[in-house]
Amino acid sequence: MSKVSVIGAGNVGATAVYYIAEKNIAEIVMVDVVPGLPQSKSVDFLHAAPLRGYNVDIVGTNDYAQIRDSDVVVLTAGVARKPGMDRMDLLRTNVGIAKAAAQAIATYAPNAVVIAVSNPLDVIAMVCLRETGFALKKVIGMAGILDSARLQYFIAEKLNVWPGDVMAMVLGGHGDEMVPVPRYTTVGGFPLTELLPEDEIEQLVARTRKGGGEIVSYLKKGSAYYAPGASVAKMVEAVVKDERRLVAASAYLRGEYGYNDVFLGVPLLLGRNGVEKIIHLELSPSEKQALDNSAHAVEEGVRTLSGIYTPG
Amino acid sequence: MAHIGIVGSGNVGANAAFFIAEKGVADVQLYDIQEGLSTGKALDMMEAAPIRGYMTKISGTDRKDVLLQSDIIMITAGKVREPGMKREDLFEANRPIIEDMADSLKGSAAKVIVVTEPVDLLTALFVKRSGMNRRQVMGLGGMLDSTRLRYLIAHEMKVSFENVSALVIGRHGSSMIALPEYSSVSGIPVTRLLPAEVLEQLVASTRNAGDLIVEMAQRASAYYGPSAAAADLAEAIYRDTRRVLSVSTMLDGEFDVKGVAMSLPSVIGRNGVEQIMKPHLNAQQVGLFQKSAKDLAAILGA
Repeated sequence: MSKVSVIGAGNVGATAVYYIAEKNIAEIVMVDVVPGLPQSKSVDFLHAAPLRGYNVDIVGTNDYAQIRDSDVVVLTAGVARKPGMDRMDLLRTNVGIAKAAAQAIATYAPNAVVIAVSNPLDVIAMVCLRETGFALKKVIGMAGILDSARLQYFIAEKLNVWPGDVMAMVLGGHGDEMVPVPRYTTVGGFPLTELLPEDEIEQLVARTRKGGGEIVSYLKKGSAYYAPGASVAKMVEAVVKDERRLVAASAYLRGEYGYNDVFLGVPLLLGRNGVEKIIHLELSPSEKQALDNSAHAVEEGVRTLSGIYTPG
Repeated sequence: MAHIGIVGSGNVGANAAFFIAEKGVADVQLYDIQEGLSTGKALDMMEAAPIRGYMTKISGTDRKDVLLQSDIIMITAGKVREPGMKREDLFEANRPIIEDMADSLKGSAAKVIVVTEPVDLLTALFVKRSGMNRRQVMGLGGMLDSTRLRYLIAHEMKVSFENVSALVIGRHGSSMIALPEYSSVSGIPVTRLLPAEVLEQLVASTRNAGDLIVEMAQRASAYYGPSAAAADLAEAIYRDTRRVLSVSTMLDGEFDVKGVAMSLPSVIGRNGVEQIMKPHLNAQQVGLFQKSAKDLAAILGA
């Protein structure tokens, strides 16, 4: 059986573990630095197993060595911004966490596909790539699936159709500059542009951009974790089952779409080796312009990184 | 109006909503006194729907009066234990929530699921205060203990828990009464499959399972197991499946106990507790059951 490790036992990490467990596709290890936290959640998951019908090992631990020989490692660890903490402090802390985790991944799970989830996503993915020294295709960021799912839900709600019938494609960085592409968004095969007027699509797109923020504004303390957890599990499944699933995810680009040395959300085939293939979509001038803006925002983030991060 | 309303959008309430959605049972609505919390969590779950493929609708409301119109009302709100606390230590803290719900639901035809701890005490309190028929009110107790024992037996024997059934009755928590004679692996009583001392260990682990999670997590208590169980119970009522589940019910003479609530295996259907089933207990088990009743009555009466 395959082995999947999730680093970080907070809401996103634990919910991802739960979704992965329900798929019955791998044994799971959940790692966190907080003593007792991953252990308590793994025991609770196992207690729910007879009711929910999954039958896989779930181990909670504070010891990175337990991720040994994982096929996939998901990095969700990181802190949320606390009052008085500026963005740079947050970045410094989360980069530090990612660095330690990535070094552990390189040591114990040298053949793993790494899925980065912690924010700022496209920057953390870069840290993971540099610290592990893994092949470029082995490190992927989770963003496009989540952003696409949100757009799909908003469309389904608007048209009053089943969310599963809506397909959407959201490219670019995981932030306000993300690039939803309505032309490649369909409902039962119909392009969205044939079903909704432009201004209404624009409203849904705008809501998608702020999707994470909308949840934070309701929860006040904390951020979304159900949709992010489900998105992670979908990606893990694609790798473990070698599905070659076409998803939007953040990948390291070497010339694709005209960008170099940057992680950016693009359509790709996700399989056993991670990024099996980056798919080239034809973009209109305005779509390309939006993707450029998004890429610049991510590059800016990586430049900031160089001030606080030295590869270990 | 949603079919199933959940009071409290913390870990147990929100995950119960999520499990109900994933089962495709019915539309669910969440309510919490913290404004926005229910809407935020409901939106997050709906944004997972395209990935998970459920068609049920999850919504949040800040209006209790709207929530209380649901057919099934699950009460999960309240404080949770900290390390070292017993369940009954929460009684005074959580009692006002139950009293408020009971007052609001007087004369209602709703079916009520009590999840808030201490569950047996609050189930009894709810029935007394609301004047509702005892069959309408079910506490989540024995079925959670039963599930944990099921897991532990399956884990010990290295068999699929699908083959394992287990029955735990009585007071939820450390005074629970496990019935090994009514616990089986594919119909074979576990008493024939496991040595008595191993069985005793598994029962002891079940007894402490909730405490163990509180100890490990420090600032939280279990919620995946409890919310999965609560979702199963809601499903049994809503779909009228007539599953036999060990739920806490106000007792009216069962094993000569009256006026307190404890878990017994019950047929669950659209009217709530359709029928209480009485297992054969030996004298010692009856003694334990009656002792728990006396302890609960002492706290309730105070």
